[in-house]
Amino acid sequence: MLHRLGILPLLVKMFIKSQMEYRGAFWLDRLAQIISYGAVLLGMWILLQKFELLGGWNWPQLALLFSFQLLAYSLGASVSFTQLRDLEELVRLGTLDALLTKPVNTWAYLIFSGLNIGYAGHIILAVPVLIWALLAAQVEWSIGNALFFAGSLLSATLVTGAVITMIGATALIWVRSNHLFAIFFGFWELTRYPLNIFPGGIQVVMLTVVPLAYISAVPVAVLLGKPVPLLGDLAAPAALLAGPLLVLLAVAHWRYALSRYQGAGG
Amino acid sequence: MIAYAAFARSGFLTSLAYRNEVWANIFGKLVQVFARVAIWLAVYAGVTAVDGISISDMITYALLGGVVMGATRYDRIVRQVGNALKTGDVAIWLLKPVHYPLYLLAIEAGMSAYTFLLAVVPTIAIVALIYGMQPPASLLHGLMFVGFCALSFIIHFLCAAIFGVLAFWLMTVFSLEWLLQSLISLLSGLLIPFWFFPEPFGTIASHQPLAWLVYYPSAVWLGRLDMGATLLYFGIGLGWAGLLATVLALLWHRASSRITVQGG
Repeated sequence: MLHRLGILPLLVKMFIKSQMEYRGAFWLDRLAQIISYGAVLLGMWILLQKFELLGGWNWPQLALLFSFQLLAYSLGASVSFTQLRDLEELVRLGTLDALLTKPVNTWAYLIFSGLNIGYAGHIILAVPVLIWALLAAQVEWSIGNALFFAGSLLSATLVTGAVITMIGATALIWVRSNHLFAIFFGFWELTRYPLNIFPGGIQVVMLTVVPLAYISAVPVAVLLGKPVPLLGDLAAPAALLAGPLLVLLAVAHWRYALSRYQGAGG
Repeated sequence: MIAYAAFARSGFLTSLAYRNEVWANIFGKLVQVFARVAIWLAVYAGVTAVDGISISDMITYALLGGVVMGATRYDRIVRQVGNALKTGDVAIWLLKPVHYPLYLLAIEAGMSAYTFLLAVVPTIAIVALIYGMQPPASLLHGLMFVGFCALSFIIHFLCAAIFGVLAFWLMTVFSLEWLLQSLISLLSGLLIPFWFFPEPFGTIASHQPLAWLVYYPSAVWLGRLDMGATLLYFGIGLGWAGLLATVLALLWHRASSRITVQGG
């Protein structure tokens, strides 16, 4: 077993090497992503210069929400998004059949052979903004709060990875799954804003069926001591438990989808 | 000309083949338009007007942004041009008696028409029924809005195609797509109209070509420009479109002639 897992660091090393073959293009892509997310942040700043508050949240608090979401998303998506988005193509062409015969866990092979270091750009932008926002938003620090911050960031990362994995795995049953990502990203954009500004229906969906509220709005609201719609006092434990629970659900879903896989390629 | 009409029809029918994606897109767009309206309701928070702009104006502005930007996809155009140039597939088109950029324009027009009719119109109608939407300021403003929408589509296409052709030199479609995304999100007026920008940035932003994507069509509908200014800015927009078309033609000429030198 350990011998088989030993292959994973090698897969990661090979993939990073292949990515770094075109170093100039790689960093140009990262720069473009930083500018793109920076433009969204600048848009928020312009809005807050004019209106001061958005749903009761001021500029540093919204910057904290934005950076927490970007960091959790990039960490979770680096071990899920591009790999599982491409799963659809592997199923369609029949390439997945070859992966299934390898003496290594299919999920682990898929994820680690395509570990996306391209999210470096997201992280380079998110970390300094997060540090500035944590200081500027005047979070009341205590040991409990610090532990909650670390735990909820980990949980948010797990939520991202688990939800993307579940969407991608659907390709094993339906062959096509990429249209579900369009819905995912529709909701994902909402996670840059406080949950309380949205209509009740969207709040319910984001806390249950598409549980993306746990990647930013819920944990950051708890950290800032703001009320969380519908969850109330349960918000803190929900933010911490959402990640591990969704990972268990994603594991079950992946296994079920793999058991239903019949192949679609020639 | 008949060939380009056939390409446009083909674009429309190709979209028809992927109905699941269209439904998913409708849902995705619906969520985004709801979100944009929710953001404006939240920032206004009980205030009736800011700088002479009412919350009802802003809800209409958010919905109109969905109308003019909902159908055309810059990422699809950038990727198509960029990949065709990078892989050399474009060589096949150079052999045919059609002009490749015009072929792309026709295909995109067909695909956009499909998305507009089946995704954008229902989405906007649903949100408008819930939150309410103002009619155009006058019949003339309404007619000019249609003209501005056509201009918006042309400028949108030209900018995306220029970014796509640049991939020939930069060898990365990915970063060009992201750069254009950042420019559109901030400088088209999609998220925030320029009247809320601090000066002089508002004035600068309202004179660059991307302003014609969302800001001017919506401002005309709302009657923020009188008829003289409407016609003036329509003319300036046409000027920008002409300039962008010239830039695209020049870049395309250089890229396609270099492909001939490189061979297959």
